[in-house]
Amino acid sequence: MKQAVILAAGEGQRLRPFTVNRPKVMLFIADKPILQYVIEALVQKGIRNIVLVVGYRKEQVLDYFGSGESFGVDLTYVTQERQLGTAHALAQAKAAIKDDFLVLPGDNLIAADTIDQFATIEPEAVLVKKVDNPMRYGVVTIQRGTVKEIIEKPEEAASNLVSTGIYSFSRAIFDFAEPQLDLPDVVNRMISQGHKIKAVETEGAWLDAIYPWDILNLNDAVLQQAQAKSGGTIEAGVSVKGQVSIGKGTVIRSNSYIAGPVVIGDGCEIGPSVCIFPATSIGNNVVISPFTEVKNSVIGSDVNIGSGGIIHDSVIDNSCQIGGRFAACSGQEEIAVNQEHHLVSFGAMLGEGCTLGNSVVAQPGVIVGNYSQIRSLKLLSGRLPDRSLVV
Amino acid sequence: MCGIVGYIGERQARPILLNCLARLEYRGYDSCGIAVAGGNLQVHKDAVRVEALKEQLPRRLEGKIGIGHTRWATHGEPSKVNAHPHGDCTGKIAVVHNGVIHNYQQLRQKLIKEGHTFTSATDTEVIPHLVEKHFDGDLEKAVAKALAEMEGSYAIAVLMDGKAELIAARKDSPLIIGIGDGENLIASDVPAVLDYTSRVIYLEDDDIAVITGEGVRVKKNGETVDRKPQRVTWSVEDAQKGGYEHFMLKEIHEQPKVIRDTIRANLYTDETAADRDISEKVGAGEILMLACGTSYHAAMVGKYVLEQLFKVPVRTELASEFGYSGQTSSQTQAIVITQSGETADALKAIKRLRSEGCPVTVITNVVSSSATRIADHVVYTMAGPEISVAATKSYTAQLMALYWMSLFSARIDLRRKDSLIMELRQLPGKVQRVLDDEETIAQHAAQIAKHDNVFFIGRGINYPVALEGALKLKEISYIHAEGYAAGELKHGPFALLNGKAPVVAIVAPDNNYEAMLTNIKEVKARSSPVLALVEEGDEVVAEVADSVIVVPKVDPLFSPVVNAVVLQLLAYYAAKERGCPIDFPRNLAKSVTVE
Repeated sequence: MKQAVILAAGEGQRLRPFTVNRPKVMLFIADKPILQYVIEALVQKGIRNIVLVVGYRKEQVLDYFGSGESFGVDLTYVTQERQLGTAHALAQAKAAIKDDFLVLPGDNLIAADTIDQFATIEPEAVLVKKVDNPMRYGVVTIQRGTVKEIIEKPEEAASNLVSTGIYSFSRAIFDFAEPQLDLPDVVNRMISQGHKIKAVETEGAWLDAIYPWDILNLNDAVLQQAQAKSGGTIEAGVSVKGQVSIGKGTVIRSNSYIAGPVVIGDGCEIGPSVCIFPATSIGNNVVISPFTEVKNSVIGSDVNIGSGGIIHDSVIDNSCQIGGRFAACSGQEEIAVNQEHHLVSFGAMLGEGCTLGNSVVAQPGVIVGNYSQIRSLKLLSGRLPDRSLVV
Repeated sequence: MCGIVGYIGERQARPILLNCLARLEYRGYDSCGIAVAGGNLQVHKDAVRVEALKEQLPRRLEGKIGIGHTRWATHGEPSKVNAHPHGDCTGKIAVVHNGVIHNYQQLRQKLIKEGHTFTSATDTEVIPHLVEKHFDGDLEKAVAKALAEMEGSYAIAVLMDGKAELIAARKDSPLIIGIGDGENLIASDVPAVLDYTSRVIYLEDDDIAVITGEGVRVKKNGETVDRKPQRVTWSVEDAQKGGYEHFMLKEIHEQPKVIRDTIRANLYTDETAADRDISEKVGAGEILMLACGTSYHAAMVGKYVLEQLFKVPVRTELASEFGYSGQTSSQTQAIVITQSGETADALKAIKRLRSEGCPVTVITNVVSSSATRIADHVVYTMAGPEISVAATKSYTAQLMALYWMSLFSARIDLRRKDSLIMELRQLPGKVQRVLDDEETIAQHAAQIAKHDNVFFIGRGINYPVALEGALKLKEISYIHAEGYAAGELKHGPFALLNGKAPVVAIVAPDNNYEAMLTNIKEVKARSSPVLALVEEGDEVVAEVADSVIVVPKVDPLFSPVVNAVVLQLLAYYAAKERGCPIDFPRNLAKSVTVE
């Protein structure tokens, strides 16, 4: 297999506020967008000719990946102007496809071993995986190694094998890829016309973020594989334990304590006397002032966190400016997204560009929309829309 | 101001020359051509873009040595005969040239008298004839003798049928040699050769190089000199569009990263510390800033920044006008800004300043460019190569250089300095917010695109931003646009205001706010539609202006960055709406290496 198509046009609406300014594939997990994990898996399997189907907020993808040169791949971009089905997305890539190819969703985090054998398989085939909650996905029924049917989000799952959305196709697929359809429908239609679709099971990683708090689980899972690396300056009296990666130009000031797995980006200033515990990712150009504790959290780029804060199980998006004594601690909370209720446990989710005064306390499970402004001494709870003003 | 390329090696020269030329089109693109030697010398040229020339070329055009040229006309209109390469009478010699030969009329008359026949109106054509005249078996010597007769500026590549070598030479025009594996390339600029090598030799003035597939030998005034290849950090990535329709939009989108890179470089490394420090040099004197075009607008912003943070008088002048006036004293510290480091007027100004005893700091984007060799100190802007003719990220990078220079030796209290550095750290995110709001700006641009005259007004530190906004709009959308200090509008331009001439007003919440508000009301009274750039949270301006674009809150000192990005996008989408060739506006070229 020489070519791959990655579907990267989707919004990921349930992940708001984090997907207001970026497509789901550009959510950062351990300082890399999800899409980069997919591309790196393909590179490891020797597939470097990649067609990216972009759409929603495509500039974010373009700005990060460019021509693919720095990632060792040759990227061709095609735009899906309106996000109809996944079959429509794939059809956009038709002109750029020469021979048999792989199709992968760009918004599921995978590793190279996920597509180990699959990268060389003859079309048509689908990669399946055993999961605990098959009703959230497309459940695959299999007969003697070939797919009988894929049923999207069934009420009752006939098996716990689901489609990973990773397929091996020949150009024949384009005869079936009608605009209004999703890929599972296309596959079912092919089967009904006598095509044989192989089912291949994988044991490798396949992670999906559906809701904002899933980011924490993905981050934790990825950081377990993190390697220690230091490109920055570590002042005297700093304790660094476990797998800690520190980017170029970053300074860790005296008396800070960092227990890995932790990833810190470029040009950050941490400390003095800051504690960072597992599993935490910090982006580029971040300042964390003295006596702040961060645990199991994801911090974006250009974020400034004041002194004496406690940040647990939280996601803080790019460009947030947070005053001193911010408290975001974990606890159980019931949250509704699109009328679905979820019992979850996390600290705070802060959208991009929020400004928080001093001594703001976030109750467990708070989700703050992008560009919100919160005055000092406020107690936050529930869900705040974008550009909220709490005075 | 043209682009020249050359190739010698094991591969077919034709596709390589065309690829290199396409990467140099930002230097000029009104005509182009290539010459390839393989058995015989074939020259193909026309007044078309490189892409079109590619289609015209005959199927059989083989040879492993060749030269090419993409032109921005100075002497002689863009046409097939005036396009390069130019040949001699025998058809054995081909020359490509970037620069201007001042005494070409005399040389031409002389050569015609000696029996040479000329076909074009260009100054360049005297070169092949001079080489032909002096040739006695040694091409290098013939070129050296020809150059000795010429006055002016040049970067040339010479090819002769039957010779397994290329001759390259330069004086006051840029030229580099790309060192490959069993092959070597010549080009006006680094991006042209990035597909083939990242090792380059920067030729210096009066260098003459003999290039074969195996090596390069350089002589200066008859003496062999050692020019070491240097590794360039720019990648091919920088010279590709990466999914964007235009280089300009890609480069606009690179600005958050450009800002972030300068933060890291300035806060955590000491490499450039000495060059940034201007405090000692200035003493009690003044700072003189010189630049052209967009760089001049950056210099004007720099005046406000330096005066506020540094507390010394700052004077800004156009480098192209400085030659006709301008008093300097030994107390003058000069700062010259040139993106390419090759701007002829800037180079001339630096030479004069140096001769008058003024220390010169150059702010440039191009490593080892001509300006860096003649200045006392160099501060590099870390913008990466800028391909779009309309400058965007290089402007922002120049501003960042000025901010960091000012902050580095600022004469302000530490608290103010710390808060400014904190603000700078937030700037990438603020610019990203403007970019994320692109669609709104595009809608406003569609309105602007309906008009033929647009005015931009600003006050204080945003006055140069008004000039820059107007420059961006006119150069790529061909809409007539004028930038004015808001207070000057009454002194004349008011006569032009009417319902068909919209005014773009840049309003910052600084000490000019009230005055700007008054100006907007005055404009409204002349029924001109007003589009205002206002900071978030401002509700007053929206009531008087017809429409507003909301920009993120920043310290007024940094407002020229976010406001300029808004105006870049406004210009881009207005040009797109009008269907203009955005990356290659008519009559313009990237670096102005002629006066």
